[in-house]
Amino acid sequence: MKPQLFIKISLSLLVFLLMFLPFIPLILSSLSFGWQWPAIIPDSISFRAWDYVLFGSSGTWQAVGVSLLIALIVTIINILLAVPAANALVRNSFRGKWLMEAIIFAPIIIPPFVAVMGIHLTFLKLGLTETIVGVVLAHLSPTLPYMVRAIMISYQTLSVDWEDQARMLGAGPVSRFTLVVLPHLLPGIVAGASLSILISLSQYLITFIIGSGQVVTLSILLFPFISGGDPAIASAYSLLFAGMAIMTLFGLDVLLKKYYQQKKAVTNKG
Amino acid sequence: MWQKNKPYLLLFPAIGTIVLLFFGGLFDGFLKSLGYFPALDQKDFNFTAYRELFRSSEFWESLILTLRVAFLSSLFAAVLGAIIAIFLFMMKESTNGSNSSIWYRLFQLPLTIPHLVGGYIIVLLFMQSGFLSRIATNLGFIETISEFPVLVNDSFGWGIILTYAWKEAPFISLMIYPVLSRIHSSWRDVSRVFGASRWNYVREIVIPVMMPAWTIATFIVFVFTFSAFEVPFLLGVTYPSTLPVYSYQLYTSGTLADRPEALAVNIILASFTVLLGLVVYAVNKRWNALKGWD
Repeated sequence: MKPQLFIKISLSLLVFLLMFLPFIPLILSSLSFGWQWPAIIPDSISFRAWDYVLFGSSGTWQAVGVSLLIALIVTIINILLAVPAANALVRNSFRGKWLMEAIIFAPIIIPPFVAVMGIHLTFLKLGLTETIVGVVLAHLSPTLPYMVRAIMISYQTLSVDWEDQARMLGAGPVSRFTLVVLPHLLPGIVAGASLSILISLSQYLITFIIGSGQVVTLSILLFPFISGGDPAIASAYSLLFAGMAIMTLFGLDVLLKKYYQQKKAVTNKG
Repeated sequence: MWQKNKPYLLLFPAIGTIVLLFFGGLFDGFLKSLGYFPALDQKDFNFTAYRELFRSSEFWESLILTLRVAFLSSLFAAVLGAIIAIFLFMMKESTNGSNSSIWYRLFQLPLTIPHLVGGYIIVLLFMQSGFLSRIATNLGFIETISEFPVLVNDSFGWGIILTYAWKEAPFISLMIYPVLSRIHSSWRDVSRVFGASRWNYVREIVIPVMMPAWTIATFIVFVFTFSAFEVPFLLGVTYPSTLPVYSYQLYTSGTLADRPEALAVNIILASFTVLLGLVVYAVNKRWNALKGWD
């Protein structure tokens, strides 16, 4: 029994040091009003920063909306591009396949800001800078490879036999896709969407270059505060930003579980 | 005809997007790094930007800093990530898998935190008047703010290293844990029959098994920290700065003459990551690293 206790204590200690301790000053700082060194707990608790962030005329909700809108459009485009691509890469062997894979997965290795800085002047000429469309286009290449990868994993466990069977039972191409392929790919799509949203939300540099400060996402709004602004407001924004990312992932997870529960209920009834 | 061209047609939208937006951008940047600005009536190619860069001490210092930060970050993340993965694995083994998934999920938390927020968390913890300095003072280790070491916005890059070690360790454990969980529980029993202690078992079985995936994951973290912008921008100093920050400083300096140099830094950075990427690919192919074994 003793080693098990040792493992449990060590794990708890690791969780405390890595997962809880780092957030304590962030939370305290967001509730502080002039937090004097060396007090561990601020002398007075104030909701001033939260009031400013959530209800003040600080454009928070607009930034949240813009961030989520961009992440959503990027993710939808990614799904539309990635499903056929993943199908081709998993189910076929053809000439030049390695090159196709290299092209699609290149943005994982080569930092996307290199491409964005290069294309900046061209975007400027086309009138795409300072627009949400431009930022969406800039966010596509850093996110698409992860979406393709996630859907490829789902395709690997989907046998062609299933679709053939559906075809034998008289299902046309549309119903084969919506009733057989799509439900099987769904976990992969959700995993890819989570990554795509997370990466899009946390972009700072490429949003800043293409948006030129006019497309204000949460990371653009946050930056001036965390690089030497009011620490209480910076902390409140940071918590909001982190919370938003976590809630989006959590929400997708819950949706997927609900979908499976519903499906189970339907099949049980049938 | 249709059957033969089908995969290409299915791939066309995705490939087209990446080629146009990503490789187009790389190529565009490459031309401009050679001084080709048709809009400014500069249509000849030259290597002035590269020559200037290689001559400036700022570039070399920036390169050294970038390599040092990337090396130390991936090293610390690798050690911490392996510790987490091994503890998770031992936890799963001793409880037969029940409730170990909760632990597993808890450790993924830093992965979901945006990089800027992760950097700010490190600022609040480690700056000279930060949380750890307050704790140290109350415990009587130090008496004045200046006694606490400068770990944030320091020229060595400790703040950047700490942020990446914290944020990337869960990534490393996430990459090696699946390999570890393929170790059958009967192997532990067999090793016990041969008289191996728990530590022998970890050293002789667990570590060799996770070695390939561990190497790959560490390499990936190295490539990422080598080319990332946000954290060094927030936690570094203006001089010397890491290569991505240096490129950004040149790009936004205001004079158009610096832009080819910024893009030249980018091209060097990109070539370096491609080189590292090829190493990762070769190692993975040789060892089948991310699966463990067949």
